[in-house]
Amino acid sequence: MHSPPSIPEAGEAGTPVWFLRGAIASLSAPGFVLLATFLGFGGLLHDLGFPIVAGLISTVLVWALPAQVILVGGLASGSSLPALAIAVCLSGVRLLPMVVSLMPLMRGRRPRLWQELLCAHFVAVTLWAEGFRLLPKVPTAARPAFSVGVGAGLMTTSVIGTAAGFYLTNVLPAPLAVALLLLTPISFTILLVRNAKARVDWLAIVLGAAISPFASYLPGGLDLFWAGVGGGTLAFVIARLPPKRRTGARP
Amino acid sequence: MNGQLSEFGAILIVILVGFLPNEVWRVLGVALGRGLDDDSLLMRWIRAVATALLAAVVAHLVLVPSGALVALPLWLRLAAVGSGIAGFLVGRRSVLAGVLTAEVVLVAGAWWLGVGA
Repeated sequence: MHSPPSIPEAGEAGTPVWFLRGAIASLSAPGFVLLATFLGFGGLLHDLGFPIVAGLISTVLVWALPAQVILVGGLASGSSLPALAIAVCLSGVRLLPMVVSLMPLMRGRRPRLWQELLCAHFVAVTLWAEGFRLLPKVPTAARPAFSVGVGAGLMTTSVIGTAAGFYLTNVLPAPLAVALLLLTPISFTILLVRNAKARVDWLAIVLGAAISPFASYLPGGLDLFWAGVGGGTLAFVIARLPPKRRTGARP
Repeated sequence: MNGQLSEFGAILIVILVGFLPNEVWRVLGVALGRGLDDDSLLMRWIRAVATALLAAVVAHLVLVPSGALVALPLWLRLAAVGSGIAGFLVGRRSVLAGVLTAEVVLVAGAWWLGVGA
């Protein structure tokens, strides 16, 4: 990976090279998992009757599968558009700390706003994890080009996955077509388990999942909103209780 | 969806209801830079809400699916997700191991029950 270019500081001439190196680096195990997940999303699009071009555009523009699933699934179950916008917005919150923590590694020596915004657009859980693994080995000046290369590579894989999943559902035998649809919830579940560290995380997972079926009976098509805000707030509050109880139990 | 969504209408919804509300956080991340306290109470609450929301999405997809997954009994859907978590934990926390385990359980179950046959 480390091959110092003849031009000092990997200047303008090196940019396409580093972009390509990034794109090649995206063909990895996490990239393969991403392909599988977006196959599932393509299957879901077909299953719900969502137009494929709009679905592909969502992969490129939204580039965050939970938000895409909330949007597509919510439309299918008749949620109102403002309620969906709120749910999508809430689900995207996790991108903020990802961008903040990865940006110091992605921005080059002379950061430009448009470059940072472009790099930030590719940030989702896969690039975030891969960025911390790959970027430290890349010369600072080449990092924006390399990051965009990895991001574009992952995105291309995902677009192919989305399209393939959409068309495969017709061709595959029933048990396999159903398996395609399980890819989305199962990868989200594993993601949740993998990212859960503190008690508050586990509480949020259990409460969010537990409230969700009941919230779907509430009027207004805001069920995801209530399950998320209700379950998350409850988890947040409960996780903060024990220290108080301990001091209260002191004789 | 009220009837069939047109391609153009769907693209418009993807941009206005999907792209914009989601991208806000990435732009905000760039704007805030290092000036953000990741461990503040507000950020902790926001993260708890985001986690619960994702769990709610999963629960919705597994418990009250809207498409072809309905053809499978609830126990099989839950068994597949459960075995996926087990596969992830046993397989050295590999996401791929978890996904594959869940898929094997689901396909075997669906085949055994003769779904769609």
